[in-house]
Amino acid sequence: MSNYIVLTKQVPDITQITDNAFDPETGTLIRSRLASVINELDTQALAFANYMKKISADANGKIVALTMGPPMAEEVLRYSLGRCADMAVMLTDKALGGADTWATANPLAYAIRRIVKDFFAANEDYYVVCGMQSVDGDTAQVPPQIAEELSSPCIAYATGAEFENNRFEFTRIISGGSEVVAARKLPAVITVAKYEYPLFATFAGTRRANRMKIVCWNGDDIKATHIGAKGSKTTVIRVFPPGKSTRKCKHVSDAKTLAKLLVESFKSDGAESGDGNGKASCYVLPKRRRDKFDKSFERTKKENEDFEILSRTLKDLGVSEVGQIDDDVKDKILSAAGERFHKKVLDDMIEGLKLTEPSFTGEVWVVAEHSSGTIHPAIFELIGKARELADSLETKVGVCIAGDKVEPTAKELIAAGADNIYIIEDKLLKVFDPNAHRKVIADCISKHWPQIVLFGATAQGRMLAPMISYKLGCGLTADCTSFDIRDISRTGHVAILLQTRPALGGNVMATICTKDSKSQMATARPGVMKRLSPDKSRTGKTIRHQVKLSDGDTGLEIIKTELGSGAVNFNVEVIVSGGKGMQSRDNYDRLISSLCDCLSEKLGTPVERGASRAAVEQDFAERIHQVGQTGTAVGPKLYVALGISGAIQHMIGVANTETIIAVNSDPNAPIFKQCDYYVVGKIEDVVPQLIEALEAE
Amino acid sequence: MPNDKDYNKVNVLIVGAGPAGLSCAIQLKVQKPDADICVLEKAADLGNHNLSGAVLETEPLHTLLDTAIPGWRDSESAKDVLAKKIRKDNVMFLLGKELSFNISFTIKLAKKFGLGFGQMMHKNDYIVSISKLTKWLGQIAKELGVEVLTGFAAEDIILDESTGMTKAVKLVDQGLDKEGRKQPNFVEGETIRADFVVLAEGCDGLLTEKFVEKAGLKRRCPQLYSVGVKELIKVNSRQYKKFTSGRVVHAMGYPIWTPVLGPGLFGGGIIYPADDDNIVVGMIVGADWKYRDFNPQDALTNFKNHRFVKQFIAGGTVIEAGAKMIPEGGYYSIPRDPQTGSIGKGNCIIAGDSAGFVNMLKIKGLHNAIDSAIAAAKAIVEYSDNPSATAAKYTELIESSNVAKEMRSARNFRQTVAKFGPLQGMPISVLGGLLPEFKIEEDYKAMTAARYRLKPKQQFDKDTFTAMAATEHREEQPCHLEILDSKICAEKCTPKFNSPCITFCPAGVYETVHDVVKPANPSNCLHCKTCQRKCPFDNIRWTVPEGTGGPRYKRM
Repeated sequence: MSNYIVLTKQVPDITQITDNAFDPETGTLIRSRLASVINELDTQALAFANYMKKISADANGKIVALTMGPPMAEEVLRYSLGRCADMAVMLTDKALGGADTWATANPLAYAIRRIVKDFFAANEDYYVVCGMQSVDGDTAQVPPQIAEELSSPCIAYATGAEFENNRFEFTRIISGGSEVVAARKLPAVITVAKYEYPLFATFAGTRRANRMKIVCWNGDDIKATHIGAKGSKTTVIRVFPPGKSTRKCKHVSDAKTLAKLLVESFKSDGAESGDGNGKASCYVLPKRRRDKFDKSFERTKKENEDFEILSRTLKDLGVSEVGQIDDDVKDKILSAAGERFHKKVLDDMIEGLKLTEPSFTGEVWVVAEHSSGTIHPAIFELIGKARELADSLETKVGVCIAGDKVEPTAKELIAAGADNIYIIEDKLLKVFDPNAHRKVIADCISKHWPQIVLFGATAQGRMLAPMISYKLGCGLTADCTSFDIRDISRTGHVAILLQTRPALGGNVMATICTKDSKSQMATARPGVMKRLSPDKSRTGKTIRHQVKLSDGDTGLEIIKTELGSGAVNFNVEVIVSGGKGMQSRDNYDRLISSLCDCLSEKLGTPVERGASRAAVEQDFAERIHQVGQTGTAVGPKLYVALGISGAIQHMIGVANTETIIAVNSDPNAPIFKQCDYYVVGKIEDVVPQLIEALEAE
Repeated sequence: MPNDKDYNKVNVLIVGAGPAGLSCAIQLKVQKPDADICVLEKAADLGNHNLSGAVLETEPLHTLLDTAIPGWRDSESAKDVLAKKIRKDNVMFLLGKELSFNISFTIKLAKKFGLGFGQMMHKNDYIVSISKLTKWLGQIAKELGVEVLTGFAAEDIILDESTGMTKAVKLVDQGLDKEGRKQPNFVEGETIRADFVVLAEGCDGLLTEKFVEKAGLKRRCPQLYSVGVKELIKVNSRQYKKFTSGRVVHAMGYPIWTPVLGPGLFGGGIIYPADDDNIVVGMIVGADWKYRDFNPQDALTNFKNHRFVKQFIAGGTVIEAGAKMIPEGGYYSIPRDPQTGSIGKGNCIIAGDSAGFVNMLKIKGLHNAIDSAIAAAKAIVEYSDNPSATAAKYTELIESSNVAKEMRSARNFRQTVAKFGPLQGMPISVLGGLLPEFKIEEDYKAMTAARYRLKPKQQFDKDTFTAMAATEHREEQPCHLEILDSKICAEKCTPKFNSPCITFCPAGVYETVHDVVKPANPSNCLHCKTCQRKCPFDNIRWTVPEGTGGPRYKRM
């Protein structure tokens, strides 16, 4: 008999963000202005757990809903109880507030332990089922971190389950396809990527749920080791509004020019228009600066100016060593600086002046992702970024790669900018098993302790990084779009990594730094950083790392792998979408397919087909292809919109696209004001011309 | 133990968590704390489906809350909802795109002479957002122990054929796909039994109309409707100050009525201030419009472009928008039992806008909604042992109350206008109660092949409008809008009127797909139900989609 613990989270309803939801001064979200709802993927997780219970024909299995949050988060538990949960546990305590993912996973794992002890009679046959990620944080870190704390296998991105031979087999998404897996041991953590049938509330069930008692625990009840802001390993140091992207809206008169622009915009460097070009390279270590009072690499302009005033005043007073600053000097500085800073601030600054050594030491690492020895393109981008960071920190770039026979990759990794390649080889690493991979990579990191470890924010990286960072007690920031090295001397930080990422569905940007950790870890969004052009003459070292692995170290049994299934993968660089202007299903099939094929061949990248809601309504395409607010939100490099009018609901879903190209026969189509290049003309005419021009390019 | 209870049975089931439904629930809970009182609401959250001007006459609300929660006036919510007392009350007459005349004095004059439309005074009333008011009332109700269940849509009402008593309300099935096939998460609509049912669904209630038919209630005159479209516009603080925060403007004339030249439509525009430098601009048009290409949103566009209006909103951004109907038929359109005259029957009561308690002389109905709901609660409490007489008792309370007094005084106004047109109708209506009762046709019969003379060149951007209404439905569910006979569309409506539903639906739900007029975008629906009242061939039916679907008004 299996039991189930479903993790649920209350989140602000970011689909309903209004103009007044953000503080105009600070750009931070005014939480009270947004409705609170249950995280949508958690509703799917709940239905998934219910489905598992159903297919295993096990009426005795209990479903327990668990949440951590302020008292009002009780609503998500009522939601769960009204649908299928048998009981609900609420973790609420002021001391738990302000937690990062580390300090969220930790108390949740301890609460899970207590649930198992108190309500499952210590029966270890249970599944922790959660949504893949929450819409507000978007990190997808908590479930793998919980798996790490519980030493459990983690089955991420599940889309289905079957009950065969008395055990569960899960279908999960992997890059380029899907696989069927089973957990080698229990408990196991399941993260649900998509389960289409969330449960509906019933009248009776809701009334009953509203009368049920919820188990409430505080921090002391679960005895977690790391809670709240105090137990966190990262701190948000700044929240700001994202830069508004402005579309070019250029009219193009012929297909030939359009073909040219299309190829150019695909090949152009994404990092230029993105927000990923933090200039870490302009950072200079304190020991290289012109004088010891030079503090011109602080995080904010104000701090830089404060230190400049301080350093100037010290020079005017003839002070050349920090040790010479006594109370008398301080008074003089304060009077010279006027109202600029208080005594407490000055004391902190003087402490800051004493710091000359970086807060972290070691190399800058990238953990390589590969598929049978073919390196994922995002890794080269990360190496490019790591090179820049390492140069300003005057250290080396290391790449850690684990697999079976991966040594041949060393050359291209070095050519991409790496100095040291750390190779871990084992037959058991041939396929990606998160538990086995995290074991060997964590082991290798803990031997060398690089100061920075970067992972690709890919499906694999977003699962591996949280497990590794949790295992090593390090903070982790997800999905970064820019990195910077800066000092925050007043709080005693020198040469730390500033990690900037979008949050709340891209509505705000947050800059985060690591604390209480031996290494600064982050995953970085693919397509944002800049790869270097390969330099075959570069030299580097390969260093082998041995870790003993046995079958027991793997968490998953892979039953079946299917690549390139008919599933829609919007995680591609080019999407061609059709709207109502396609006129008919036949047109849609014929024109979109031929343009997709042509682009795919010409640009050497997979191209996916999309559709507007109107096109789906008219039955030109299946619902699964729908792009937009109610379909899938996409963010490719290139989005080609054919016969799409540009309704706001559609455009919201493509907002993160780098270049939007539109073709429409209506010269007043709103999309022309929201795209980069457009052609006015009939789809049936323009598309064949475009294909011809592309082939001639 | 919560498990032992039959949760599909309640003492009082109130359909619709609007001001009427919630007021009724509050009053009931105060008088009968032990009763199981449930309020059903199809919207995802409280206030999401409520849209009104709105000017609120507060007496009934005060009466309700003074007994329910002493000291309510000092609460933060009360101060927030009732923040704007009206200090200045303007009635404007607009002529052409430029001219405007302040005709407030005529109203004052009318009042002095005791004429009907002298009631159209708003000074010392409050400007409120009905979405916010509803949310607040819902919270009060919940705190008192009322079970307010949002996200549940009711599709039918079940009567006992032998006794005529109402037995239950049936909820809509959930988890059907577009073709009506059961998905794995299918849940059959539950049947909720109740001792008493209060229908407080608002204008043109689905269950109310079913009940009227099943219980054999009759209206002396068909219900007449208006369609209101409204936008909340963020303006700059200079404009907002210029408008002034305690002022309401009601405008007549352009762009829906101009003497001699036309157009000749009933209705008017509103401009009210809201919070945070937001200004409400709205247009209300009688649903008996005769122009086949008319859309109230076009009138709104023209209104916004009139010089008088433009000065306050030019350069502003629309941040919320919505549309709703208003029942305007008045006293003669109240559904009643033909024998007893009761508004409802047996243990089922109709309250608020569902009954049609809008006073057209005041152009207000909120106060009557609350007042009638209090009467409903009192009737239920008094007749808790004799459910079969509750509706009669309720009607007795209504007839002796201010609601009926107001409704009677305004009884002929809208019909007079409908009969004689805005030009002659208004002056004739001065005669008020002296007039005979007119025979009036349903709004949809008014359609002609004529065109709206002031049609703007630019097509109204309905996509943005629906986005601002934040409307949402689960896509994979059966279409909740039904065209009864598509042959009528193809053979009669399209040739004669060019399918007006495509134009007038404020959300762009209707479209021609492969030469067939269809409700192609049901998920855009704003639940205003204009289509089922304005299709010139009475060929459209609005049914209820799954709960939680529909607009998400927050400040309407």
